[in-house]
Amino acid sequence: MLIANDEEALREQLAFTESMIPERIAADPEVVENGLARLVLSIIELVRRLLEKQALRRMDAGNLSEEEIERLGSALMKLEEKMGEMKAVFGLSDEDLNLKLGPIKTL
Amino acid sequence: MPDSTEELSLLETLDHLLDRGVVIAGEAVISIGDVDLLYLGLNVVLANVDSLMRARQRKP
Amino acid sequence: MKLVVVGAHLRREDIEPVAEAVPVGEVFLSGVPVEDDQPLGDRELLLRVARIRAELLERATFVAIRYGFASSSPAAKALPHAGRWKALLEEHRGRVEMTLKVAAANPKKRPDRRDFTSGAAYMRALHERTNVDDAFREEVERTLVPLSVRHVWSAGELAMLIERAKLEELREAGEKLKATKVPFLLSGPWPLEVFADADRE
Repeated sequence: MLIANDEEALREQLAFTESMIPERIAADPEVVENGLARLVLSIIELVRRLLEKQALRRMDAGNLSEEEIERLGSALMKLEEKMGEMKAVFGLSDEDLNLKLGPIKTL
Repeated sequence: MPDSTEELSLLETLDHLLDRGVVIAGEAVISIGDVDLLYLGLNVVLANVDSLMRARQRKP
Repeated sequence: MKLVVVGAHLRREDIEPVAEAVPVGEVFLSGVPVEDDQPLGDRELLLRVARIRAELLERATFVAIRYGFASSSPAAKALPHAGRWKALLEEHRGRVEMTLKVAAANPKKRPDRRDFTSGAAYMRALHERTNVDDAFREEVERTLVPLSVRHVWSAGELAMLIERAKLEELREAGEKLKATKVPFLLSGPWPLEVFADADRE
């Protein structure tokens, strides 16, 4: 069962899961290097999003101390900062890191 | 887009498969300070890098 | 050969022949056999396991094991959990999980980390965004939640444990919820996920 109201808005919210399944990377050597950077950064971005989501769930569960919340927040901010720097180094944009699922086959 | 509900359904299914459920073997744990946050996600992700490496080796 | 573990079930017949059954204590693990060097992060495998999960759920509810655990002999690692799983499966026989995800009020306007000097303030701002519109939340509590046996809100998502017999009623209530115009996604049924967690009631 899937009942959705305004799929566009939801897609933005769920967008993080789009990058979970990489398409096959081209075997062409010239393409592979940039492909690798993209893959690695996409993975780090995925991990960052999952960490953030999990941290928010833990906050809701109410079992984090003030100090832990501070530490989590700072770490997430730092991670975002580092991601920004790396994207700049490799000349990659947010779009580049959003790997597509590929053609959708029926489940 | 005719595909969009199907895609949403796929994303939702994968989200449940990958980001929910009981963790048995917590070999890969990402913690911040003393707070354990992420388990096992790395297995799936690292496996991808591995298959990429093998794909490179197979290239003529 | 290794088995990609899918879930923990009460009976062998809940699993076979859709998947392989491995006895663990007084319950059974379900597993999908794959080659030893099969990478788990493979799209086709993921889709296959997702399909198998759905088929298994049609037979009986089970405790969902997070994807990523594959072993040629999974029983050893699973054994410490078997007693707890048996109790859960007996208590929640005939029940499934349903999930309601609510879109953030303003998905494009994420807090900018450069506006914050304290980690805690940044966390709170991120958390703020997951807050569900009060009116919508009340509507959900009024129309959907009463159909469930248990429910829990967490970071903008509602997880409900409901009797299978109530699924159709829930679907109808979900359709009516569209009138609120708040973007949401109601999905399921799912096996025991949120309600199988050790640190949750």
